[in-house]
Amino acid sequence: MSELWRLGLGQAYQGLLAKDFTAEELVLDCLDRIKATEPAINACLTVLDEQAIQQAKELDRLGPDPQRPLWGVPLTVKDVFSLKGAPTTAGSKILENYLCSYEATVVQRLRQAGAVICAKTNCDEFAMGSSTEFSAYGPTSNPWNTQRVPGGSSGGAAASVAACQTPGGFGTDTGGSIRQPAALCGCVGLKPTYGRVSRYGIIAYGSSLDQAGPFARSVKDCARLLASVAGPDGLDSTASTIPVDDYLNPAELDVKQLTLGLPKELWSASFSPEVETVLQEAKTLLTKAGVNLKEVSLPSLKYSVASYYILASAEASTNLARYDGVRYGYRAPDRSGLAELYLSSRSHGFGPEVQRRILLGTFVLSSGYYDAYFRKAAQVRRLIQQQYDAALESCQFLLAPVSSIPAWPFGSFTNDPLTIYQLDMMTLPLNLAGAPGLSLPCGLGADGLPVGIQIMGRAFDESALLKAGSLIEQVFPPIGTPEVKAKE
Amino acid sequence: MALDEATAKDIARLARLRITNSEQGVADDQEVKALDTLVAEFSKIVGYMDILAQADTTGVEPLYSPMVEPLPPREDQPRTTENNSDSLLQNAPERIGRYFSVPRVF
Repeated sequence: MSELWRLGLGQAYQGLLAKDFTAEELVLDCLDRIKATEPAINACLTVLDEQAIQQAKELDRLGPDPQRPLWGVPLTVKDVFSLKGAPTTAGSKILENYLCSYEATVVQRLRQAGAVICAKTNCDEFAMGSSTEFSAYGPTSNPWNTQRVPGGSSGGAAASVAACQTPGGFGTDTGGSIRQPAALCGCVGLKPTYGRVSRYGIIAYGSSLDQAGPFARSVKDCARLLASVAGPDGLDSTASTIPVDDYLNPAELDVKQLTLGLPKELWSASFSPEVETVLQEAKTLLTKAGVNLKEVSLPSLKYSVASYYILASAEASTNLARYDGVRYGYRAPDRSGLAELYLSSRSHGFGPEVQRRILLGTFVLSSGYYDAYFRKAAQVRRLIQQQYDAALESCQFLLAPVSSIPAWPFGSFTNDPLTIYQLDMMTLPLNLAGAPGLSLPCGLGADGLPVGIQIMGRAFDESALLKAGSLIEQVFPPIGTPEVKAKE
Repeated sequence: MALDEATAKDIARLARLRITNSEQGVADDQEVKALDTLVAEFSKIVGYMDILAQADTTGVEPLYSPMVEPLPPREDQPRTTENNSDSLLQNAPERIGRYFSVPRVF
Protein backbone atom coordinates (compact mmCIF):
# COMPACT_ATOMS: atom_id res chain seq x y z
CA MET A 1 0.00 0.00 0.00
CA SER A 2 1.20 3.50 -0.70
CA GLU A 3 0.80 6.72 1.24
CA LEU A 4 -0.12 5.03 4.51
CA TRP A 5 0.58 8.39 6.17
CA ARG A 6 -2.71 9.67 4.79
CA LEU A 7 -4.72 7.26 6.96
CA GLY A 8 -6.60 8.60 9.95
CA LEU A 9 -5.81 7.05 13.29
CA GLY A 10 -8.81 4.70 13.43
CA GLN A 11 -8.27 3.57 9.82
CA ALA A 12 -4.59 2.95 10.47
CA TYR A 13 -5.41 0.91 13.56
CA GLN A 14 -7.99 -1.20 11.70
CA GLY A 15 -5.52 -1.74 8.86
CA LEU A 16 -2.88 -2.90 11.31
CA LEU A 17 -5.22 -5.35 13.05
CA ALA A 18 -6.35 -6.72 9.66
CA LYS A 19 -2.67 -7.11 8.70
CA ASP A 20 -3.15 -4.97 5.60
CA PHE A 21 0.28 -3.60 6.50
CA THR A 22 2.72 -4.01 9.36
CA ALA A 23 3.49 -1.59 12.18
CA GLU A 24 6.98 -1.23 10.72
CA GLU A 25 5.62 -0.30 7.27
CA LEU A 26 3.32 2.31 8.78
CA VAL A 27 6.02 3.76 11.04
CA LEU A 28 8.53 3.92 8.16
CA ASP A 29 5.97 5.67 5.98
CA CYS A 30 5.27 8.25 8.69
CA LEU A 31 9.00 8.78 9.29
CA ASP A 32 9.40 9.42 5.55
CA ARG A 33 6.54 11.87 5.68
CA ILE A 34 8.22 13.64 8.62
CA LYS A 35 11.46 13.84 6.64
CA ALA A 36 9.66 15.23 3.59
CA THR A 37 7.68 17.89 5.44
CA GLU A 38 10.05 19.01 8.22
CA PRO A 39 12.09 21.38 6.06
CA ALA A 40 8.86 23.30 5.41
CA ILE A 41 7.19 23.22 8.84
CA ASN A 42 9.77 22.48 11.60
CA ALA A 43 7.15 20.74 13.75
CA CYS A 44 9.51 18.29 15.45
CA LEU A 45 12.34 19.01 17.86
CA THR A 46 13.50 15.39 18.08
CA VAL A 47 12.67 12.58 15.67
CA LEU A 48 12.98 9.23 17.42
CA ASP A 49 13.43 7.18 14.24
CA GLU A 50 15.65 4.41 15.57
CA GLN A 51 13.58 3.82 18.71
CA ALA A 52 10.35 3.94 16.71
CA ILE A 53 11.49 1.43 14.08
CA GLN A 54 12.81 -0.91 16.76
CA GLN A 55 9.56 -0.67 18.71
CA ALA A 56 7.47 -1.29 15.57
CA LYS A 57 9.54 -4.37 14.74
CA GLU A 58 8.99 -5.68 18.25
CA LEU A 59 5.22 -5.13 17.95
CA ASP A 60 5.18 -6.94 14.58
CA ARG A 61 7.04 -9.85 16.13
CA LEU A 62 4.33 -10.19 18.80
CA GLY A 63 1.50 -9.71 16.29
CA PRO A 64 -1.55 -7.39 16.32
CA ASP A 65 -3.35 -7.14 19.67
CA PRO A 66 -6.96 -5.92 19.63
CA GLN A 67 -6.77 -5.44 23.41
CA ARG A 68 -4.34 -2.58 22.84
CA PRO A 69 -6.29 0.41 21.48
CA LEU A 70 -3.29 2.02 19.76
CA TRP A 71 -1.40 -1.08 18.65
CA GLY A 72 1.24 -0.01 16.12
CA VAL A 73 -0.09 3.55 15.77
CA PRO A 74 2.62 6.21 15.21
CA LEU A 75 2.20 9.30 17.39
CA THR A 76 4.03 12.43 18.51
CA VAL A 77 4.20 14.08 21.93
CA LYS A 78 4.87 17.73 22.67
CA ASP A 79 8.33 18.36 24.04
CA VAL A 80 6.98 18.98 27.55
CA PHE A 81 6.32 15.26 28.10
CA SER A 82 9.18 13.43 29.78
CA LEU A 83 10.38 10.54 27.70
CA LYS A 84 13.12 8.37 29.09
CA GLY A 85 16.48 8.73 27.40
CA ALA A 86 15.27 11.45 25.02
CA PRO A 87 15.81 15.20 25.19
CA THR A 88 12.94 17.07 26.86
CA THR A 89 13.48 20.78 26.27
CA ALA A 90 10.01 22.33 26.61
CA GLY A 91 11.21 24.58 23.79
CA SER A 92 13.68 26.25 26.16
CA LYS A 93 17.39 26.83 25.94
CA ILE A 94 17.56 26.26 29.70
CA LEU A 95 16.78 22.55 29.10
CA GLU A 96 18.88 22.18 25.95
CA ASN A 97 20.96 19.26 27.19
CA TYR A 98 18.47 17.78 29.61
CA LEU A 99 17.91 14.03 29.32
CA CYS A 100 14.97 12.58 31.19
CA SER A 101 15.48 9.63 33.51
CA TYR A 102 11.77 8.75 33.74
CA GLU A 103 8.60 8.86 31.65
CA ALA A 104 5.42 10.86 31.92
CA THR A 105 2.35 8.79 32.80
CA VAL A 106 0.80 9.80 29.46
CA VAL A 107 3.81 8.39 27.61
CA GLN A 108 3.78 5.18 29.66
CA ARG A 109 0.08 4.67 28.95
CA LEU A 110 0.51 5.35 25.24
CA ARG A 111 3.24 2.71 25.14
CA GLN A 112 1.05 0.25 27.06
CA ALA A 113 -1.70 0.89 24.50
CA GLY A 114 0.77 -0.08 21.78
CA ALA A 115 1.53 3.35 20.33
CA VAL A 116 4.87 4.09 18.70
CA ILE A 117 6.19 7.54 19.60
CA CYS A 118 7.97 8.88 16.53
CA ALA A 119 8.82 12.47 17.48
CA LYS A 120 8.71 15.18 20.11
CA THR A 121 7.01 18.30 18.84
CA ASN A 122 7.93 21.97 19.00
CA CYS A 123 6.21 24.46 21.31
CA ASP A 124 6.49 27.91 22.77
CA GLU A 125 9.05 27.93 25.56
CA PHE A 126 7.51 26.24 28.63
CA ALA A 127 4.18 26.31 26.75
CA MET A 128 3.98 30.09 27.16
CA GLY A 129 2.80 31.60 23.91
CA SER A 130 0.13 31.41 21.24
CA SER A 131 2.21 31.10 18.07
CA THR A 132 5.21 28.77 18.70
CA GLU A 133 7.40 31.79 17.88
CA PHE A 134 8.75 31.70 21.43
CA SER A 135 10.42 28.32 20.96
CA ALA A 136 14.18 28.61 21.46
CA TYR A 137 14.56 26.23 18.51
CA GLY A 138 12.88 28.30 15.84
CA PRO A 139 9.18 28.63 15.04
CA THR A 140 6.97 25.98 13.46
CA SER A 141 5.18 26.93 10.25
CA ASN A 142 1.53 26.41 9.48
CA PRO A 143 1.19 23.59 6.90
CA TRP A 144 -1.58 25.53 5.09
CA ASN A 145 0.68 28.51 4.56
CA THR A 146 4.26 28.27 5.70
CA GLN A 147 4.60 32.07 5.99
CA ARG A 148 2.22 31.90 8.92
CA VAL A 149 2.23 30.68 12.50
CA PRO A 150 0.59 27.38 13.48
CA GLY A 151 -0.75 28.84 16.74
CA GLY A 152 0.51 27.67 20.07
CA SER A 153 1.74 26.72 22.39
CA SER A 154 1.30 23.16 21.02
CA GLY A 155 1.91 24.47 17.49
CA GLY A 156 4.31 21.68 16.56
CA ALA A 157 1.78 19.02 17.54
CA ALA A 158 -1.03 20.65 15.55
CA ALA A 159 1.10 21.33 12.46
CA SER A 160 2.44 17.77 12.55
CA VAL A 161 -0.99 16.15 12.70
CA ALA A 162 -2.41 18.52 10.07
CA ALA A 163 0.52 17.76 7.74
CA CYS A 164 -0.14 14.01 8.25
CA GLN A 165 3.27 13.33 9.78
CA THR A 166 1.48 10.95 12.14
CA PRO A 167 -2.26 10.35 12.62
CA GLY A 168 -2.27 11.77 16.17
CA GLY A 169 -0.32 13.48 18.88
CA PHE A 170 -0.46 14.83 22.39
CA GLY A 171 -0.12 18.38 23.59
CA THR A 172 -1.02 20.39 26.66
CA ASP A 173 -3.60 23.12 27.12
CA THR A 174 -3.14 25.71 29.90
CA GLY A 175 -5.05 28.57 28.28
CA GLY A 176 -5.92 27.21 24.84
CA SER A 177 -2.64 25.63 23.78
CA ILE A 178 -4.36 22.59 22.24
CA ARG A 179 -7.59 24.13 20.92
CA GLN A 180 -6.14 27.26 19.32
CA PRO A 181 -3.36 25.57 17.25
CA ALA A 182 -5.84 22.83 16.28
CA ALA A 183 -8.13 25.55 14.93
CA LEU A 184 -5.36 27.43 13.14
CA CYS A 185 -3.96 24.23 11.57
CA GLY A 186 -7.31 22.61 10.75
CA CYS A 187 -7.25 19.54 12.98
CA VAL A 188 -9.18 18.36 16.02
CA GLY A 189 -7.88 19.06 19.52
CA LEU A 190 -9.35 18.08 22.87
CA LYS A 191 -8.68 19.74 26.21
CA PRO A 192 -9.98 17.28 28.80
CA THR A 193 -11.35 18.22 32.23
CA TYR A 194 -8.68 19.29 34.70
CA GLY A 195 -7.69 16.04 36.44
CA ARG A 196 -8.92 13.66 33.72
CA VAL A 197 -5.37 12.97 32.52
CA SER A 198 -2.34 12.65 34.80
CA ARG A 199 0.16 15.50 34.74
CA TYR A 200 3.00 13.36 36.10
CA GLY A 201 6.13 13.88 34.05
CA ILE A 202 4.79 16.92 32.18
CA ILE A 203 6.94 20.02 32.60
CA ALA A 204 4.81 22.33 34.72
CA TYR A 205 3.62 25.78 33.66
CA GLY A 206 0.37 26.63 35.48
CA SER A 207 -0.39 23.67 37.71
CA SER A 208 -4.06 24.46 38.37
CA LEU A 209 -4.68 24.98 34.64
CA ASP A 210 -2.39 22.55 32.74
CA GLN A 211 -4.05 19.55 31.13
CA ALA A 212 -2.75 17.11 28.53
CA GLY A 213 -4.91 16.15 25.59
CA PRO A 214 -4.93 14.69 22.09
CA PHE A 215 -4.74 16.01 18.54
CA ALA A 216 -6.05 14.00 15.59
CA ARG A 217 -7.81 14.48 12.27
CA SER A 218 -11.24 13.39 13.52
CA VAL A 219 -13.20 13.57 16.76
CA LYS A 220 -13.42 9.77 16.97
CA ASP A 221 -9.66 9.50 16.74
CA CYS A 222 -9.33 11.95 19.63
CA ALA A 223 -11.72 9.74 21.62
CA ARG A 224 -9.47 6.73 21.02
CA LEU A 225 -6.44 8.69 22.19
CA LEU A 226 -8.14 10.01 25.32
CA ALA A 227 -9.42 6.53 26.18
CA SER A 228 -5.84 5.28 26.22
CA VAL A 229 -4.53 7.77 28.78
CA ALA A 230 -7.43 8.94 31.01
CA GLY A 231 -7.80 7.92 34.62
CA PRO A 232 -6.31 8.14 38.09
CA ASP A 233 -2.60 7.94 38.73
CA GLY A 234 -0.85 7.26 42.01
CA LEU A 235 1.89 9.62 40.87
CA ASP A 236 -0.42 12.65 40.46
CA SER A 237 -2.79 13.36 43.33
CA THR A 238 -4.77 15.78 41.15
CA ALA A 239 -5.60 13.00 38.65
CA SER A 240 -9.24 12.31 39.44
CA THR A 241 -10.64 8.97 40.61
CA ILE A 242 -14.01 9.72 38.97
CA PRO A 243 -14.70 6.68 36.73
CA VAL A 244 -13.62 6.99 33.08
CA ASP A 245 -16.46 6.54 30.58
CA ASP A 246 -16.21 4.35 27.50
CA TYR A 247 -15.31 7.06 24.99
CA LEU A 248 -15.29 4.63 22.07
CA ASN A 249 -18.89 3.54 22.68
CA PRO A 250 -20.71 6.66 23.89
CA ALA A 251 -24.42 6.93 24.64
CA GLU A 252 -26.60 7.73 21.66
CA LEU A 253 -27.26 11.38 20.94
CA ASP A 254 -29.43 12.87 18.20
CA VAL A 255 -28.21 15.97 16.42
CA LYS A 256 -31.80 17.27 16.35
CA GLN A 257 -31.94 17.15 20.13
CA LEU A 258 -28.76 19.13 20.61
CA THR A 259 -29.01 22.53 22.27
CA LEU A 260 -25.85 24.60 22.12
CA GLY A 261 -25.43 27.80 24.12
CA LEU A 262 -23.58 30.66 22.41
CA PRO A 263 -21.86 32.90 25.00
CA LYS A 264 -22.60 36.38 23.73
CA GLU A 265 -19.44 37.80 25.32
CA LEU A 266 -17.36 35.62 22.95
CA TRP A 267 -19.53 35.89 19.83
CA SER A 268 -19.63 39.68 20.07
CA ALA A 269 -15.85 39.95 19.65
CA SER A 270 -14.48 41.59 16.56
CA PHE A 271 -13.55 38.95 13.98
CA SER A 272 -11.50 39.11 10.82
CA PRO A 273 -13.81 39.04 7.75
CA GLU A 274 -12.60 35.54 6.75
CA VAL A 275 -13.27 34.08 10.19
CA GLU A 276 -16.59 35.92 10.52
CA THR A 277 -17.88 34.46 7.23
CA VAL A 278 -16.93 30.87 8.09
CA LEU A 279 -18.40 31.13 11.61
CA GLN A 280 -21.70 32.50 10.32
CA GLU A 281 -21.86 29.71 7.75
CA ALA A 282 -21.13 27.17 10.50
CA LYS A 283 -24.05 28.45 12.56
CA THR A 284 -26.31 28.26 9.51
CA LEU A 285 -25.24 24.67 8.80
CA LEU A 286 -25.87 23.67 12.41
CA THR A 287 -29.32 25.24 12.41
CA LYS A 288 -30.16 23.52 9.10
CA ALA A 289 -29.09 20.20 10.62
CA GLY A 290 -31.61 20.73 13.39
CA VAL A 291 -29.30 21.88 16.18
CA ASN A 292 -30.92 24.36 18.52
CA LEU A 293 -28.67 27.39 19.05
CA LYS A 294 -29.42 29.81 21.86
CA GLU A 295 -27.65 32.79 23.28
CA VAL A 296 -26.29 32.56 26.81
CA SER A 297 -24.40 35.12 28.88
CA LEU A 298 -21.40 34.77 31.18
CA PRO A 299 -20.85 38.40 32.18
CA SER A 300 -17.57 37.75 34.04
CA LEU A 301 -15.86 36.57 30.84
CA LYS A 302 -14.76 40.16 30.31
CA TYR A 303 -12.33 39.60 33.19
CA SER A 304 -11.01 36.25 31.99
CA VAL A 305 -7.85 37.51 30.25
CA ALA A 306 -6.80 39.48 33.34
CA SER A 307 -7.70 36.67 35.73
CA TYR A 308 -5.93 34.04 33.64
CA TYR A 309 -2.69 35.92 33.06
CA ILE A 310 -2.40 36.75 36.76
CA LEU A 311 -3.04 33.19 37.94
CA ALA A 312 -1.04 31.44 35.21
CA SER A 313 1.93 33.80 35.63
CA ALA A 314 1.85 33.39 39.40
CA GLU A 315 1.92 29.61 39.05
CA ALA A 316 4.62 29.85 36.39
CA SER A 317 6.87 32.02 38.55
CA THR A 318 6.59 29.42 41.30
CA ASN A 319 7.10 26.41 39.03
CA LEU A 320 10.06 27.94 37.22
CA ALA A 321 11.90 28.82 40.42
CA ARG A 322 13.46 25.36 40.17
CA TYR A 323 15.66 26.35 37.22
CA ASP A 324 18.76 27.56 38.98
CA GLY A 325 21.66 26.23 36.92
CA VAL A 326 22.67 23.80 39.66
CA ARG A 327 20.84 20.48 39.41
CA TYR A 328 20.01 20.35 35.73
CA GLY A 329 19.70 22.60 32.73
CA TYR A 330 21.71 25.50 31.43
CA ARG A 331 24.39 26.96 33.68
CA ALA A 332 25.93 30.34 32.87
CA PRO A 333 29.72 30.56 33.01
CA ASP A 334 29.43 33.13 35.82
CA ARG A 335 31.60 32.13 38.78
CA SER A 336 31.44 35.30 40.85
CA GLY A 337 29.08 33.81 43.44
CA LEU A 338 26.02 31.63 43.97
CA ALA A 339 23.48 34.47 43.66
CA GLU A 340 25.17 35.62 40.45
CA LEU A 341 25.11 32.07 39.11
CA TYR A 342 21.33 31.93 39.60
CA LEU A 343 20.85 35.35 38.02
CA SER A 344 23.02 34.69 35.00
CA SER A 345 21.75 31.16 34.36
CA ARG A 346 18.11 32.23 34.51
CA SER A 347 18.59 35.48 32.57
CA HIS A 348 20.39 33.72 29.72
CA GLY A 349 18.52 30.40 29.86
CA PHE A 350 14.96 31.80 29.72
CA GLY A 351 13.60 33.60 26.67
CA PRO A 352 11.71 36.90 26.67
CA GLU A 353 8.13 35.67 27.14
CA VAL A 354 9.06 33.32 29.97
CA GLN A 355 10.96 36.11 31.75
CA ARG A 356 7.97 38.41 31.27
CA ARG A 357 5.61 35.92 32.89
CA ILE A 358 7.97 35.09 35.74
CA LEU A 359 8.24 38.81 36.49
CA LEU A 360 4.48 39.31 36.23
CA GLY A 361 3.87 36.30 38.48
CA THR A 362 6.40 37.51 41.01
CA PHE A 363 4.75 40.92 41.01
CA VAL A 364 1.18 39.68 41.59
CA LEU A 365 2.36 37.40 44.40
CA SER A 366 4.51 40.02 46.09
CA SER A 367 3.61 41.65 49.35
CA GLY A 368 1.36 44.65 48.82
CA TYR A 369 -0.09 43.40 45.50
CA TYR A 370 -1.21 39.89 46.43
CA ASP A 371 -4.77 40.80 47.47
CA ALA A 372 -5.43 43.28 44.68
CA TYR A 373 -4.23 40.96 41.94
CA PHE A 374 -3.67 37.31 42.85
CA ARG A 375 -6.52 36.82 45.31
CA LYS A 376 -8.87 38.99 43.27
CA ALA A 377 -8.09 36.99 40.11
CA ALA A 378 -8.89 33.77 41.97
CA GLN A 379 -12.20 35.22 43.15
CA VAL A 380 -13.05 36.18 39.58
CA ARG A 381 -12.09 32.66 38.54
CA ARG A 382 -14.79 31.36 40.92
CA LEU A 383 -17.34 33.70 39.31
CA ILE A 384 -16.38 32.48 35.84
CA GLN A 385 -16.71 28.85 36.91
CA GLN A 386 -20.11 29.51 38.52
CA GLN A 387 -21.37 31.30 35.42
CA TYR A 388 -20.02 28.53 33.20
CA ASP A 389 -21.91 25.90 35.20
CA ALA A 390 -25.04 28.06 35.28
CA ALA A 391 -24.95 28.52 31.49
CA LEU A 392 -24.92 24.73 31.08
CA GLU A 393 -28.20 24.49 33.01
CA SER A 394 -30.04 25.87 29.97
CA CYS A 395 -28.18 23.96 27.22
CA GLN A 396 -26.11 20.79 26.81
CA PHE A 397 -22.90 22.39 25.56
CA LEU A 398 -21.45 25.78 24.86
CA LEU A 399 -20.37 26.66 21.34
CA ALA A 400 -17.78 29.36 20.74
CA PRO A 401 -15.16 30.55 18.27
CA VAL A 402 -11.55 29.54 19.01
CA SER A 403 -9.66 32.46 17.49
CA SER A 404 -10.96 35.77 16.21
CA ILE A 405 -8.32 35.81 13.46
CA PRO A 406 -6.85 33.08 11.24
CA ALA A 407 -3.18 32.01 11.42
CA TRP A 408 -1.18 35.23 11.27
CA PRO A 409 2.12 36.08 9.53
CA PHE A 410 5.26 35.58 11.63
CA GLY A 411 6.25 38.53 13.77
CA SER A 412 2.84 40.22 13.78
CA PHE A 413 2.59 40.50 17.57
CA THR A 414 5.95 39.50 19.02
CA ASN A 415 6.55 42.95 20.49
CA ASP A 416 3.01 43.40 21.69
CA PRO A 417 2.42 40.92 24.51
CA LEU A 418 -0.86 42.42 25.71
CA THR A 419 -2.53 42.11 22.29
CA ILE A 420 -1.52 38.48 22.00
CA TYR A 421 -2.81 37.80 25.54
CA GLN A 422 -6.14 39.33 24.53
CA LEU A 423 -6.30 37.04 21.49
CA ASP A 424 -6.56 34.13 23.94
CA MET A 425 -9.87 35.36 25.28
CA MET A 426 -11.90 32.63 23.51
CA THR A 427 -9.98 29.75 25.03
CA LEU A 428 -8.94 30.85 28.55
CA PRO A 429 -12.34 30.63 30.27
CA LEU A 430 -12.43 26.86 29.91
CA ASN A 431 -9.13 26.42 31.76
CA LEU A 432 -10.27 28.76 34.50
CA ALA A 433 -13.45 26.67 34.87
CA GLY A 434 -11.48 23.40 34.65
CA ALA A 435 -13.98 21.97 32.14
CA PRO A 436 -13.46 20.01 28.88
CA GLY A 437 -13.58 21.46 25.37
CA LEU A 438 -13.14 20.24 21.83
CA SER A 439 -11.90 22.34 18.93
CA LEU A 440 -12.70 21.19 15.41
CA PRO A 441 -12.42 22.67 11.93
CA CYS A 442 -15.63 24.24 10.61
CA GLY A 443 -14.39 25.43 7.24
CA LEU A 444 -11.73 27.19 5.21
CA GLY A 445 -11.69 30.96 4.91
CA ALA A 446 -11.44 32.84 1.63
CA ASP A 447 -7.72 33.14 2.41
CA GLY A 448 -7.40 29.33 2.32
CA LEU A 449 -6.76 29.12 6.06
CA PRO A 450 -8.72 26.84 8.40
CA VAL A 451 -11.21 28.21 10.92
CA GLY A 452 -12.08 26.29 14.07
CA ILE A 453 -15.00 26.20 16.44
CA GLN A 454 -15.15 24.76 19.96
CA ILE A 455 -17.78 23.01 21.99
CA MET A 456 -17.45 22.93 25.74
CA GLY A 457 -19.16 20.65 28.22
CA ARG A 458 -19.54 19.68 31.84
CA ALA A 459 -16.58 18.54 33.91
CA PHE A 460 -15.78 14.83 33.41
CA ASP A 461 -18.41 14.43 30.70
CA GLU A 462 -15.95 13.98 27.82
CA SER A 463 -18.07 11.07 26.59
CA ALA A 464 -21.04 13.28 25.70
CA LEU A 465 -18.73 16.05 24.49
CA LEU A 466 -16.96 13.71 22.05
CA LYS A 467 -20.27 12.29 20.84
CA ALA A 468 -21.71 15.75 20.23
CA GLY A 469 -18.42 16.75 18.58
CA SER A 470 -18.57 13.87 16.13
CA LEU A 471 -22.17 14.80 15.27
CA ILE A 472 -21.40 18.43 14.50
CA GLU A 473 -18.19 17.43 12.72
CA GLN A 474 -20.38 15.76 10.07
CA VAL A 475 -22.35 18.97 9.60
CA PHE A 476 -19.29 20.97 8.51
CA PRO A 477 -17.63 20.63 5.08
CA PRO A 478 -14.40 18.57 5.14
CA ILE A 479 -11.40 20.87 4.74
CA GLY A 480 -9.05 18.32 3.18
CA THR A 481 -5.31 17.98 3.64
CA PRO A 482 -2.92 20.90 3.16
CA GLU A 483 -0.41 20.70 0.39
CA VAL A 484 2.71 21.45 2.38
CA LYS A 485 4.89 23.85 0.43
CA ALA A 486 8.34 24.90 1.53
CA LYS A 487 8.98 28.51 2.53
CA GLU A 488 10.00 30.65 -0.40
CA MET B 1 -1.34 51.03 37.91
CA ALA B 2 1.91 52.37 36.51
CA LEU B 3 4.99 50.66 37.78
CA ASP B 4 7.93 52.68 39.13
CA GLU B 5 11.58 51.78 38.63
CA ALA B 6 12.17 50.85 42.27
CA THR B 7 9.31 48.31 42.22
CA ALA B 8 10.51 46.89 38.89
CA LYS B 9 14.01 46.41 40.28
CA ASP B 10 12.65 44.76 43.39
CA ILE B 11 10.47 42.36 41.37
CA ALA B 12 13.45 41.37 39.19
CA ARG B 13 15.52 40.76 42.33
CA LEU B 14 12.80 38.53 43.81
CA ALA B 15 12.48 36.64 40.51
CA ARG B 16 16.27 36.19 40.25
CA LEU B 17 16.30 37.77 36.81
CA ARG B 18 18.82 40.35 35.73
CA ILE B 19 17.78 43.71 34.34
CA THR B 20 20.09 46.37 33.04
CA ASN B 21 19.84 50.08 33.70
CA SER B 22 18.19 51.99 30.91
CA GLU B 23 21.28 53.92 29.94
CA GLN B 24 23.31 50.73 29.43
CA GLY B 25 20.80 49.48 26.90
CA VAL B 26 20.63 45.91 25.68
CA ALA B 27 22.92 46.08 22.69
CA ASP B 28 25.61 43.85 24.18
CA ASP B 29 23.22 41.44 25.81
CA GLN B 30 20.04 40.63 23.92
CA GLU B 31 18.57 38.33 26.57
CA VAL B 32 18.77 40.71 29.48
CA LYS B 33 15.85 43.03 29.79
CA ALA B 34 16.33 46.76 30.06
CA LEU B 35 14.73 48.48 33.03
CA ASP B 36 12.85 51.03 30.93
CA THR B 37 11.39 48.31 28.69
CA LEU B 38 10.26 46.38 31.74
CA VAL B 39 8.63 49.42 33.33
CA ALA B 40 6.83 50.35 30.10
CA GLU B 41 5.60 46.81 29.39
CA PHE B 42 4.51 46.22 32.93
CA SER B 43 2.65 49.47 33.22
CA LYS B 44 0.66 48.50 30.15
CA ILE B 45 -0.02 44.90 31.19
CA VAL B 46 -0.75 45.63 34.84
CA GLY B 47 -2.79 48.63 33.77
CA TYR B 48 -4.99 46.25 31.80
CA MET B 49 -5.24 43.85 34.78
CA ASP B 50 -6.75 46.69 36.80
CA ILE B 51 -10.06 45.89 35.05
CA LEU B 52 -10.46 43.30 37.83
CA ALA B 53 -11.16 46.08 40.31
CA GLN B 54 -14.54 46.51 38.60
CA ALA B 55 -15.64 42.95 39.43
CA ASP B 56 -17.85 42.65 42.47
CA THR B 57 -16.30 39.79 44.42
CA THR B 58 -17.78 40.55 47.82
CA GLY B 59 -18.00 37.31 49.75
CA VAL B 60 -16.66 35.23 46.84
CA GLU B 61 -14.31 32.46 47.92
CA PRO B 62 -11.16 32.43 45.74
CA LEU B 63 -10.84 29.42 43.40
CA TYR B 64 -7.22 28.28 43.37
CA SER B 65 -7.82 24.85 41.83
CA PRO B 66 -10.75 23.38 39.90
CA MET B 67 -10.25 20.00 41.61
CA VAL B 68 -13.55 18.63 42.87
CA GLU B 69 -12.17 15.95 45.15
CA PRO B 70 -10.01 16.48 48.22
CA LEU B 71 -6.36 15.66 47.65
CA PRO B 72 -5.97 12.06 48.77
CA PRO B 73 -3.22 11.39 51.32
CA ARG B 74 -0.97 8.42 50.75
CA GLU B 75 0.72 6.07 53.17
CA ASP B 76 3.93 7.56 54.51
CA GLN B 77 6.07 4.68 53.36
CA PRO B 78 9.32 4.66 51.43
CA ARG B 79 8.95 3.66 47.79
CA THR B 80 11.53 2.56 45.33
CA THR B 81 11.70 4.31 41.99
CA GLU B 82 13.84 3.87 38.93
CA ASN B 83 15.51 7.14 39.75
CA ASN B 84 18.74 6.58 41.59
CA SER B 85 21.36 9.14 42.44
CA ASP B 86 23.26 8.42 39.23
CA SER B 87 20.30 9.13 36.98
CA LEU B 88 19.44 12.26 38.95
CA LEU B 89 23.01 13.53 38.87
CA GLN B 90 23.48 12.83 35.15
CA ASN B 91 21.96 16.21 34.26
CA ALA B 92 24.02 18.28 36.68
CA PRO B 93 25.91 20.90 34.69
CA GLU B 94 28.80 20.56 37.12
CA ARG B 95 29.43 18.07 39.85
CA ILE B 96 32.17 16.84 42.10
CA GLY B 97 31.83 13.10 42.61
CA ARG B 98 28.32 12.47 43.87
CA TYR B 99 27.63 16.12 44.72
CA PHE B 100 26.26 19.10 42.80
CA SER B 101 28.86 21.82 42.76
CA VAL B 102 28.25 25.57 43.11
CA PRO B 103 30.55 28.59 43.44
CA ARG B 104 31.75 29.00 47.01
CA VAL B 105 29.47 31.11 49.18
CA PHE B 106 31.91 32.06 51.96
